[in-house]
Amino acid sequence: MFASIPSAVLCGAQGHPVSVEVHVAKGLPGFHVVGLPDESVREARDRVRAAVMSSGATWPDIKITVNLAPSQQRKSGSGLDLAIAVGVLAASEQIPPEAVRGLAALGELGLDGSIRAIPGVAPMVGVLGELDVIVPVLNTHEASVVAAGRVRPLGHLREVIDVFNELAPWPDHEPPPCDLVRVSEPDMADVIGQPMARRALEIAAAGGHHCLFVGPPGSGKTMLASRLPGLLPSLGRDQALEVTMIHSAAGISLPPSGLVVRPPFRAPHHTSSEVAMVGGGSHSLRPGEISLGHNGVVFLDELPEFAPRVLDTIRQPLEEGNVRVSRAALHVTIPSRFQLVAAMNPCPCGGGSQPGECDCGEARVSKYAGRVSGPLLDRFDLRVRVERPSVDHLLGNMRGEPTVVIAERVAAARARASDRQGVLNAGLAPVDLDMHAPLESEALEVLRFEMEKGRLSARGYHRIRRVARTIADLAPVETERIDEATVALALEMRTSVRRSLTSIGRVA
Amino acid sequence: MSAVDEDRSYIAVLAGFSDMTTSRLRSLLSGRTPQEAFALAAGQSRPTPALRTEFERYKTLRERWRAAGRRASPVGMADRCQALGLSVVLPEDPDYPAQLLHDPRRPAVLFVQGDLSVLDARRVGIVGTRNPTRRGTQTAARFGYELAEAGVCVVSGLALGIDGAAHRGALAAGAAAPVAIVANGHDAPYPKRHTALWSEVAVAGAVISEWPPGVPPEPYRFPLRNRILAALSEVVVVVESREKGGSLITAHEAAMRGIDVFAVPGPVDQRASMGTNSLLEVGAAPVSSTDTLLVALGLDGRRSGRRTFDARPLPLGDECVALDLCRTGPQNVESAARSCEWDLARAAMSLARLERNGWLGEAGGWFEVIDEYANLA
Repeated sequence: MFASIPSAVLCGAQGHPVSVEVHVAKGLPGFHVVGLPDESVREARDRVRAAVMSSGATWPDIKITVNLAPSQQRKSGSGLDLAIAVGVLAASEQIPPEAVRGLAALGELGLDGSIRAIPGVAPMVGVLGELDVIVPVLNTHEASVVAAGRVRPLGHLREVIDVFNELAPWPDHEPPPCDLVRVSEPDMADVIGQPMARRALEIAAAGGHHCLFVGPPGSGKTMLASRLPGLLPSLGRDQALEVTMIHSAAGISLPPSGLVVRPPFRAPHHTSSEVAMVGGGSHSLRPGEISLGHNGVVFLDELPEFAPRVLDTIRQPLEEGNVRVSRAALHVTIPSRFQLVAAMNPCPCGGGSQPGECDCGEARVSKYAGRVSGPLLDRFDLRVRVERPSVDHLLGNMRGEPTVVIAERVAAARARASDRQGVLNAGLAPVDLDMHAPLESEALEVLRFEMEKGRLSARGYHRIRRVARTIADLAPVETERIDEATVALALEMRTSVRRSLTSIGRVA
Repeated sequence: MSAVDEDRSYIAVLAGFSDMTTSRLRSLLSGRTPQEAFALAAGQSRPTPALRTEFERYKTLRERWRAAGRRASPVGMADRCQALGLSVVLPEDPDYPAQLLHDPRRPAVLFVQGDLSVLDARRVGIVGTRNPTRRGTQTAARFGYELAEAGVCVVSGLALGIDGAAHRGALAAGAAAPVAIVANGHDAPYPKRHTALWSEVAVAGAVISEWPPGVPPEPYRFPLRNRILAALSEVVVVVESREKGGSLITAHEAAMRGIDVFAVPGPVDQRASMGTNSLLEVGAAPVSSTDTLLVALGLDGRRSGRRTFDARPLPLGDECVALDLCRTGPQNVESAARSCEWDLARAAMSLARLERNGWLGEAGGWFEVIDEYANLA
């Protein structure tokens, strides 16, 4: 007898439909899984057998063959357990085979028959189309967000048997209580003083510019960076779905609604490996940190402490918005369009806030800064010095402008940009700059001077014009031409770390 | 130019032995021909009692010298010197600097790129820290420029920071040529960043070393270099120095030789002025302008023409306010905006204009007042 149960496996952040075909026939008793299962799938045999027996059903002691189609594709993970079990039960006619038609199953089985949560339910349900799908109770929310058919949350294999034999109705499982209390995003009001850095953060949020903070320890670089997601607008439905898929695939706990609507914030530690950063791993190609930060912010604290190889691997995704991870047997493309924020000290000793307070020789400083490659440094439109807050500000006990107020300005600026050119200012192509970000003649003279002095490269010139456009967009009154003060501020926000960071020979 | 004959190439090879010092070289060469001295050091002849004591004290020295002796190629060394345009100058040569002839620690040999006759001019040594402030490099450059303009040969060490600024200033004047004393062989300029400056000094004036090509700039060689620098100067100026540093050694060497030491006073709490201020406390003379140095040399500088014209465009409006603020101490955009109650863009624009026009210098986001000599440093 034969049964075929639709299910899915996960590869990267992408679900792939798998048809679990079970054939039960006379022959030497045995249980074989074919169709390129890896070790984790092959182990399903023991779990499925124990779970079926624990659920009060009989294990057919005849020859059982399970085929996972398409059979040329490698499968891994424990999510096929439930589909195999249902297939075995249907093929051995312990549940009516016609009852399972049009139904897919996802979930891992415990030896006691319980159905356990698995990572990646969202992308897997996404590829199952119109089918109704049985999912573990804990994965209900994310499944509901993407499902086109009905979602059937079940907690135990026995329930499956009872429902199909019409001994019980579909159980009505309470959605699981959220173990995750929604942490409110940190507020800009907590940042005292720091007018320059606050301004840079606002510009970064409004224009989608990558941003580097350079400053001594204790100047609040991390505090600032963690407040960027709060300034960004919530994700649109499509973006939110993309992010949910990736987070689900990585097994990260999702917000109670199941849909990630706020831009994610990821802050990988500087010891992270290449695989942790861009994704990979030998079996399922897990999404890396830069994919988990898709449509959100990736914050690299202590930038020069990251291994140079790791930093180099994120350059290509920064340009292309996705990362292609290839291994011998399989390759996946995972979206990774993130905004990069990084922080570093001006020199190994941490640096004083005033000139001449640093103990490091020039050679030490340039060696330290040299750990961040020029091409990566070049990706940062904003490179801002952060000083320790002044005593006046600290003692003044004046709270800064709160996030909600700034976020409104940011939203307005983003709206201006998208009305004008359809993309954020960071994405403006050089050829469009003259049309969308024309300069007043004094402003042009400033940039000409900098370029003639060799302090501004052609690429830096474009980047400064983009930032200047964003600064102008943030102003209360919309201006078409960009004036000298705006360009001076943009220039300051890109070159003020010139000497401390790019000691010799490098330009903005 | 003294040709590199056999004697000289043997001495050059001997000077290139590892851990060779001035005193070791002198005692090896005293009363022996260079070939005999070479054989003695390389272990090819019976060591003298003094040498035997030295070998016993420093266990590995004998083996290293023996190995160096086996590797040595006097002919190769002569070729190397010639390729680099080096003259090998011995004390008996007429062009050996007279100031060094009667020095208690006279160099047994000098390797010279350039022309030693520039030392016939009046000479001022300018030294200082490798971690100067902008003000320090500016002062060094100004002294270098004005001294050279007055026909004085600037002697310094080609190090990063003050030394380099002094050389650059002197070269920019295009008058009297500077002289550099270095602590390594001429084949590999050190510091690397001053490679171009090194050759400019060698072309205009002279670059002098006590060591042959192939000798690395090991730490112990710098104090030895400093003594030559001091001995060749009539007056030594320390522009900036930390509480410890090579320039204090130079000052000490100069004081021992009865050479006047001048120091540029600085703020008492500034690290780069700690050494100079302590020199002032122990009796060095303060200096803030080139005139003082010219008077010390017996040259009357007051009659020489002063620059009266400042080419920089005059600051206007906001720029005046910002420039006055910077005169009270370094400012960044944030602090200027706070003090003047401007928004950031206005502060950035004013500071940037002043910087473009040469009134302010910028480093790491901080703007400081500079004078016209700053771009020489």
